[in-house]
Amino acid sequence: MKGLLRTRKRIGIPVRILLVVFTLSLVLPQASFGQKNSPDIPKVSNVVAIQGATVVVSPGNTIEDATVVFRNGVIEAVGKRATVPYDAEILDGKGLTVYAGFIDAMSQIGVPAPDNNAPQQNVADRSNPTFDQAGITPQLDVRSVLMPSDSSVYAFRKLGFTTAHVVPQGRMLPGTSAIILLSGDDADAMVLRGDQSMFFQFAGARGVYPGTPMGVMAKFRRLYIESDRRIRLNEMYRQNPAGMSRPPSDVVHEAFFPVITQNRPVFVFTQNALEVHRALTLKSELKFNMVLTGLSNGFDTIEKVKASGVPVALTLGVPAKPEWAAKVKADSLEQILASFNDDTRTATFKDIEAEKRNLEAKQLISRKQYLALPSQFAAASVPFSFTSFGVKADDVASNLREYTAAGLSKVQALAALTTTPAGLLGLSASMGSVEVGKMANLVVSSGDVFEESSFVQFVFVNGQKFEYERPKSKEESASNGSKGQ
Amino acid sequence: MKNKLFVAALGLILTTQIGFAQDVLIRHATVLTITKGTLPDTDVLIRDGIITEIGTNLRAPRGIEEVDATGKFLMPGIIDAHSHIALTSINEGSSPVSAEVTMEDVIDPYDIGIYRALAGGVTTSHTMHGSANVIGGQNETIKHRYGKRDPDELRFVGAPRTIKFALGENPTRSHGRRGSQGGGGIVPATRMGVEQVLRSSFENGKRYMEAWDAYNQAVKTNPRAVSPEYNDRLEVMADILRGDILVHCHSYRADEIAMLLRVLKDFGVTKITFQHANEAFKVAPELAEFGATASVFADWWSYKMEVYYSTAYNAAILMRNGVLTSINSDSREFIRHLYHEAAKSQRYGGLSDDESLSMITINPATQLGIQDRVGSIEIGKDGDVVLYDSHPLSVYAIPMQTYVDGKKYFDRLTDPDDMRIQVNPTASFNSYETQITGKDHFHGENEILDFEDLFGVEFESTTSTSKSN
Repeated sequence: MKGLLRTRKRIGIPVRILLVVFTLSLVLPQASFGQKNSPDIPKVSNVVAIQGATVVVSPGNTIEDATVVFRNGVIEAVGKRATVPYDAEILDGKGLTVYAGFIDAMSQIGVPAPDNNAPQQNVADRSNPTFDQAGITPQLDVRSVLMPSDSSVYAFRKLGFTTAHVVPQGRMLPGTSAIILLSGDDADAMVLRGDQSMFFQFAGARGVYPGTPMGVMAKFRRLYIESDRRIRLNEMYRQNPAGMSRPPSDVVHEAFFPVITQNRPVFVFTQNALEVHRALTLKSELKFNMVLTGLSNGFDTIEKVKASGVPVALTLGVPAKPEWAAKVKADSLEQILASFNDDTRTATFKDIEAEKRNLEAKQLISRKQYLALPSQFAAASVPFSFTSFGVKADDVASNLREYTAAGLSKVQALAALTTTPAGLLGLSASMGSVEVGKMANLVVSSGDVFEESSFVQFVFVNGQKFEYERPKSKEESASNGSKGQ
Repeated sequence: MKNKLFVAALGLILTTQIGFAQDVLIRHATVLTITKGTLPDTDVLIRDGIITEIGTNLRAPRGIEEVDATGKFLMPGIIDAHSHIALTSINEGSSPVSAEVTMEDVIDPYDIGIYRALAGGVTTSHTMHGSANVIGGQNETIKHRYGKRDPDELRFVGAPRTIKFALGENPTRSHGRRGSQGGGGIVPATRMGVEQVLRSSFENGKRYMEAWDAYNQAVKTNPRAVSPEYNDRLEVMADILRGDILVHCHSYRADEIAMLLRVLKDFGVTKITFQHANEAFKVAPELAEFGATASVFADWWSYKMEVYYSTAYNAAILMRNGVLTSINSDSREFIRHLYHEAAKSQRYGGLSDDESLSMITINPATQLGIQDRVGSIEIGKDGDVVLYDSHPLSVYAIPMQTYVDGKKYFDRLTDPDDMRIQVNPTASFNSYETQITGKDHFHGENEILDFEDLFGVEFESTTSTSKSN
């Protein structure tokens, strides 16, 4: 007994800690995670009411001091006099602004990059590679490579994106796309719709044919025209195979069939104006449904794009400031800009400084053109969506602010993130606005979502809540001494 | 009346289609017509982009811009039969035969090289595929309408299709002898292989043409006839056999030139221009007999083994043997002084002024099949002209103004310093200096699968999806 007591004494403290931990483990996890994880205990309520918020129903249509109610992922009521159901979880919306969840018209959210940057190895004849080696895999379904745990899902959702049209990684023809929600524990739960479009870019294969944009153009034409021929052969064979050799068949050409029959659009990524021209050349030759995406520096192509009637999704990426300008104060930059003279004719040996200043000013003007791209499309009355393809999530919010500072109205910016992409992707019935009957995809911001002072406090994806803390201001970070960490 | 209306409508279509034609009256120039002699103190009237009158004391249409060219020399815009400016890629170097690719798809209207060419009096370029492949891509003939931003607006509408061939070391090094050990090599590794690639390509093109002809016949009576598999590469080969595409072949040695003549003869192809052709003088009579033409350098050779042997008399010997000959640049630098290059050939070979200037005007125009439109100052031809301060064959000659379709695209006295249309918003200024100065044979900055590749160095594709941010 004595010995036992002694023993108990010796282990007393650890046992007590263990007991506390054990007790907590019985209570806490069930309180906080049990509703979600346990299949048999339902969530207390699937109804949420955001009360007294500023609700941006659709771009340009705002209701002050309004309530939004949604149940089981569907919006049930929106308005000043909306009834709050007895079973609703109530969220005080005072001072908050509610928007429809953002839709990314084309992205690679949740699609991790494969390590395909190494040059092709062991290609026996690089003039005649396999489809895989040539980066031609239009049959590949992005759903098979979706990763819900990819950090991009978290990062873009935090910005307010709830829906994305995602395309696979790859070279010329990476595969078919899908529309996903930015939530879900597995790939299937994320996917709203597959086989949405064919993705195409002017990215030649590494070290094998086709290696250049002109090779890519030729290869696309060849695949398309041969697929067209095979559709006809298949039909002939289907009607009566007697006396006819079996038509050739492979998954690559078959992936073109829905494109040729105009049942699937081709989303083309263009990284500059020249690629926009190339895409439109293919479109006018082959007559398929196309959506142009990217269009960085596409300001010279606006009229041509407008005339073509091809829908566009403009890049959310803007060029970085030149190194020299990053070191110069904003008002000095304005001075340099003001001093620009397009008609300088100074002999270099006479005044190097004047010539240099002019070159700097011209570079600033060039960057301004990039920033004004969306506002120029808006001015030309060409509707556009935004695409995050190739853009880091960290840059999106500040890039959007650069766009609005360069003349894009906030209403236009919001349309490019909600209603226009919803229309482009055939999602208007369920997304793009805060209206009764639509999916509860919402962004709740601490204020105007396009202002730097605001932050996204809640995001609801299909009614599922994600909550975010106010990011620490610079002063707070500094006083916490965390700046040096 | 109807006819007049029709003509007016046609004129309207042409001008709206072209959209850049202008009017100008150049007065009191010494006009070097090239084909019709030299006319002192002469006026040239260009209306809607076309030369409509040549003479003295021409009546000026109301409101027309007049240029006083007293003491100056007016010659037709220079034509460069071999150039790689205004292109974003040069070589589809992954395959020894790439007839299906076309430079039309990769025209870059923003290239400052176009403006620099204008400053050298060049108004038309034959922008070519590179020489990595035995049968390279189709070339594009462009007008130097610098400032236009749509690649289509640079096209020389109506110019015949042309294609690039290449013999000798470039294709054998690109394909047969890849890497230091030659691993991964494919045909051709030798000059014999080059001939074999040519012959099998033509043979396959011929069979393709026959298969489609047979199908097109059969389908008239049998709706269940099965068409041959579509092959754009062989379709282009078939078009060469049909005579629809002019061949321009990169070549150096006399033996390989003679080889190609034999191959073409066997397949009934008659239209051929030998590019570079530094040893063409050795087979000048054979070229003349075949009707082949040559486009050469004035005095540039010894930059690799197969072009070790040549002579500055090459152009003159060819001309004297009845071979239509032009002088080309193949360089963003040479293109700025092709008139000097023509003068060199005169200096060495004793050619007349008109003969020398024809090598950079009407002769390259003929080789490109556009001699009815450009290459001389004649009524009815395009208003592509260049004004020099002195005779263009003088070492002191400076191009002062350059016109395309009657529109001034270069003016030495009034153009500002910085003529770039597009400026990289991020790059450091130093990077602009790499934009090719000095003698440069390494086609363009955006080379893909070419020289790095030829020398076995791991290449960087410019088509990588590096995004703007």
